[in-house]
Amino acid sequence: MSLRYGILGLLAEQPLHGYEVKTRYEALFGGTWDLNIGQVYTTLQRLERDGLVGEVGERGDRGKQRYDLTPAGRDALHDWLQTPEEEPPQLRQDIYLKLLLISRLANGNLDTLLARQRRVYLQRLKDLGELEHQARRQGRDDLVLLVQGAILHTEADLKWIDVCADESRRAAHSIGGTHQ
Amino acid sequence: MTQVIELTQVSKVYNGGAAQTALDGISMSVASGEFVAVMGPSGSGKSTLLNMVAGLDRPTSGRVCVGGRDLTGLSEGELAKFRRTHVGIVFQFFHLLNDLTVLDNVLVAAELAGIKRSAARQQATALLARLEIADKADVYPAELSGGQRQRVAIARALVNRPPLLLADEPTGALDSRSGDQIMELIAAINASGQTVVLVTHDAKLAARHAQRVISMSDGRIVDDAVLEPAAGTRSLLTFQREEARR
Ligand SMILES: Nc1ncnc2c1ncn2[C@@H]1O[C@H](COP(=O)(O)OP(=O)(O)O)[C@@H](O)[C@H]1O
Ligand SMILES: [Mg+2]
Repeated sequence: MSLRYGILGLLAEQPLHGYEVKTRYEALFGGTWDLNIGQVYTTLQRLERDGLVGEVGERGDRGKQRYDLTPAGRDALHDWLQTPEEEPPQLRQDIYLKLLLISRLANGNLDTLLARQRRVYLQRLKDLGELEHQARRQGRDDLVLLVQGAILHTEADLKWIDVCADESRRAAHSIGGTHQ
Repeated sequence: MTQVIELTQVSKVYNGGAAQTALDGISMSVASGEFVAVMGPSGSGKSTLLNMVAGLDRPTSGRVCVGGRDLTGLSEGELAKFRRTHVGIVFQFFHLLNDLTVLDNVLVAAELAGIKRSAARQQATALLARLEIADKADVYPAELSGGQRQRVAIARALVNRPPLLLADEPTGALDSRSGDQIMELIAAINASGQTVVLVTHDAKLAARHAQRVISMSDGRIVDDAVLEPAAGTRSLLTFQREEARR
């Protein structure tokens, strides 16, 4: 997650000191994210070094020092906000590797792994569903969005497990298994 | 714990052109008060399983006990009586009688079970109120939305206070908002002590409301998972930490 641009975004609303940045950033994520204060100060220092933020008022003790966006910081934030995310799709590489290896081993039976993996995802859906419910109750529509994203990803993970199970079943049938 | 449902080595083979094994030696039980979801690809035997428990169909072999009664030995008449008093069933497409009002749709089920008209009316009215469709009592099904029709079907299923509510894709024909509401209702009904077995394709709804998820494939149970109570914010925390590590 980009703390750098997160901080720029918060400072675009008003000048803040480090501790205010920490608490506001955490509030954005509804308390699901603990930010290390040291990390905030380090990031602020780097942003200042890069000319994207500047100190406001007298230079004092670092806890009280407020920062504001520079014009260059405002431009950088604007560009970042309008840039689509191009991170590669998240592949479930470890599961994939396990599936491949299990299916290659003699008598490799995928059912156990698939069932266990399905349980993990179902439990995650249950937990996320509760989180969505809580966010809704607190009127946190922004947090609801975040959780819904996670729910949709988990549903996709489950669908993929179903596809794997289907494929495994087909393979078992075509080998002329004992079934039917 | 009392077992409301107990299946022992239940198989069902449909004899068409080619014999079709819909259930292949299913053994499982459901305790009183549980909320169990049944999931699996289409054709995996979910509806057949539910029909066995509902007494709508008979197994080719094996034993089906519901509420301590062995359904396998019952005559057609006894089975029909069992269905009217021991189970409530809700389907994807509601199956309401279109030329009866909402209230009469619910009352018919009570009358078939031999409940006195005045008692039935009281129970039906209370249920319609609980399901928030009291104002639709004198309306015909054609005038109702899908979500409202499903509420009527649930009232009809519950009017005889059956110990067991069976639901086969009850949200399958509804938009997601109405579907959520129907599931909230079913969850509330379960919270007041009713045993519920729900067949659904919707993993989110199953995970949200059921304490246990049975997964089927090819007429067999491939997993029977008891879920932990929902863990609030903790899970998302770990979720994000993982992402941050990349
Ligand atoms: N009345 C029937 N006659 C013949 N085959 C049937 C009948 N009912 C179900 N089947 C077959 O039994 C299998 C399981 O069906 P079903 O229980 O409806 O699956 P699901 O509800 O999981 O989609 C399927 O292959 C289906 O074609
Ligand atoms: Mg079905």
